[in-house]
Amino acid sequence: MKKRWLLTAVVLVASTALLAACGSGSTKNSAKSSGSTSKTLNVAALEGGYGSAPWKQVVKDFESANPGVKVKLTIDKKIESIISPKMKAGDYPDVVHLATGRPDGLTETMIKSKGMEDLSDVKNMTIPGEKKKVSDVLMPGFDGTLATEPYGDGKTYMMPMFYAPTGLFYNKALLKANGWTEPKTFSDLMALGEKAKAKGISLFTYSTTGYMDSLTYSLLADIGGKSFFNKAMSYDHDAWSGKDGTQYFNLVGNLVKQSDKTTVANANNENFRKNQQLILDNKALFMPNGTWVTGEMKDAPRAKGFEWGFMALPGVKADTRYAYTYFEQIWVPKQAKNKALAKKFIAFMYSDKATKDFLKGGAVQPVKNITSQLDAEQKQFYGIYDNGAKVLTGSFQSAKAVEGVNMTDTLFGEITSVTNGTKSISQWQQDVVKAADQLRE
Amino acid sequence: MNGHAKRNRSIFIVLALAPAIILMTIFMLYPVLSVFQMSLYRWGGYSPDKEFIGFQNFVTLAKDMNFIRAMQNTIVLIVLVTVVTLAFALVFAAILTRVKFKGVGLFRVIFYIPNILSIVVISAIFSAIYDPAQGLLNSVLRLFHPSNWQGVQWLGNEKLVIWSVAIALIWQAIGYYMVMYMSAMASIPEDLYESASLDGATAVRQFFTITIPLTWNTIRTTLTFFVISTINLSFLLVTAMTGGGPNGSTEVFLSYMYKQANTNSAYGYGMAIGVVVFLFSFALSAILQGITKRDVYEF
Repeated sequence: MKKRWLLTAVVLVASTALLAACGSGSTKNSAKSSGSTSKTLNVAALEGGYGSAPWKQVVKDFESANPGVKVKLTIDKKIESIISPKMKAGDYPDVVHLATGRPDGLTETMIKSKGMEDLSDVKNMTIPGEKKKVSDVLMPGFDGTLATEPYGDGKTYMMPMFYAPTGLFYNKALLKANGWTEPKTFSDLMALGEKAKAKGISLFTYSTTGYMDSLTYSLLADIGGKSFFNKAMSYDHDAWSGKDGTQYFNLVGNLVKQSDKTTVANANNENFRKNQQLILDNKALFMPNGTWVTGEMKDAPRAKGFEWGFMALPGVKADTRYAYTYFEQIWVPKQAKNKALAKKFIAFMYSDKATKDFLKGGAVQPVKNITSQLDAEQKQFYGIYDNGAKVLTGSFQSAKAVEGVNMTDTLFGEITSVTNGTKSISQWQQDVVKAADQLRE
Repeated sequence: MNGHAKRNRSIFIVLALAPAIILMTIFMLYPVLSVFQMSLYRWGGYSPDKEFIGFQNFVTLAKDMNFIRAMQNTIVLIVLVTVVTLAFALVFAAILTRVKFKGVGLFRVIFYIPNILSIVVISAIFSAIYDPAQGLLNSVLRLFHPSNWQGVQWLGNEKLVIWSVAIALIWQAIGYYMVMYMSAMASIPEDLYESASLDGATAVRQFFTITIPLTWNTIRTTLTFFVISTINLSFLLVTAMTGGGPNGSTEVFLSYMYKQANTNSAYGYGMAIGVVVFLFSFALSAILQGITKRDVYEF
């Protein structure tokens, strides 16, 4: 009897040992890979609308400029699902190109858990193969914001990569045919909505509520300037509940109520293209989106004579219009093994060679001489800043994770309820103020 | 001699059990225990610092209206899917086993097809059916309405959308349970029905007094399946079709857990939801088994 117990115990111990072996196995593997070939740089990049070809070319260029260095590039449309299980097991890539604002929020999680390497010195590094420093070529307005300095302490943790201005997309031909002009202010926009309604055209649509972020950010800056925008982004109570905040909720609330009736039903990952199709079919006038939408919808059927139009969001006043710019970020996890080489790789991203490689795929780097190299369609998008719109970047400040409270779910997610009338504008505002209060504490 | 044989026997037993025990420990026991452990921490998922907060996550959970809505949605789906699917599957199974007509095999295949489709395909099919402009459902309804009728927003109306999800889940589940019930019904001896019909029992009467009692054990087992599969499949369908929207009105247990753990950087909180789901499905299955317990009829 005793022996049987002993044997059972042995089996249990054996199974635990096996578990332990599993655990140590992975660390042993990674140690080996970093030990024998210390010059292997693990780069994980998101495959965006620009495809993987430019990244492969840039990696090749970096390898030929740095003999003895091997870059292991992992690129995928959902890179977070590849790297995050590995990261949870302690196997970190050296360089990660993954922006904030992704549905899975891996980058945000890394910010919140203070898991990023300080990259402040990268700006002072000389670009490999060139004489200029990174700070010499970086376009102004892209650093020094919450999107690169998430803790607002003057230290850079993420470097800006490809940028894309946002605004409202529309059909130029439709406006021309009806003799309508591009609205410059919100009141022009709403007035145009009345005219369009008479013709059976809805004023507005949005792909999913997530696409309301750029419109929200631009509008906040339109209303109260950058200082108000920054206050709102740091969850300030008065910013959201005060007069300016109320104006934001009223403007957006009344705008989304003019959305096409089918918008809410299709505002999900399965059907959002149907909302974008409303613009192509002349069923809705305007939608907020980014520059990738023309590529995304390039095979879709469209109304006769359709021509993409793009403008900055109408302002509260005609002369102050901000156009929010998305940009993607590149960063180094604190647990990366080749930090020095990783920083060198990031500095290389701003070289003429890398910029040209990326541009071939349609990805635009925020470097000073870039606008002269763009093609006609890109110039229309990137040219809005030459036509008086101001650059706006950054987004919500990194806050401590609060269980069950999510600012973007409240601020943007509830827009569907305002659109279909389930929630009133003031209820929406109250919920946002409450979420801001909880996140600020 | 005797002792030696006994020892050999116990060695053999332990060795024979060892692979199963080891696999169970690694793939079942250890993960479940770590979920329970992590639910007591505040942890983002990646950082090395975990803060032990006891049952705080569960206290927050009880006050989290979004979680309570997700729970309500899950319960609505479990009840709806179970009741409606059970009724349809039983009736279809009885018809296909009891009534002799041409094309029984064909119908069986047709009813089973939804079950071999991936949930993503099902979500695409139902998105097309529910489409407010060109969808099948609204196109049919439009025949009975004036030409300026706006159509029903099957996935856009927050009060309707959970029913739309339920219908898709029921559609895909019926075939699977029907085949299960059919195999149980096929083993009921024909003479029982014969003698019943000699006594003058109608087909309906036979269904309730012979078919149902004699398939009772299978029905009981499937009740547990209903609970588990609805919790799992509703997550898949909601993720693929509505993303939990509009504004969280189709959020279910697991989609909310996933959002909290992976998008809201509250991994410990997500694991607390996992613990609640674990206990909930366990308890519900136990209750269902308890209240449906009755003497097994033999034939």
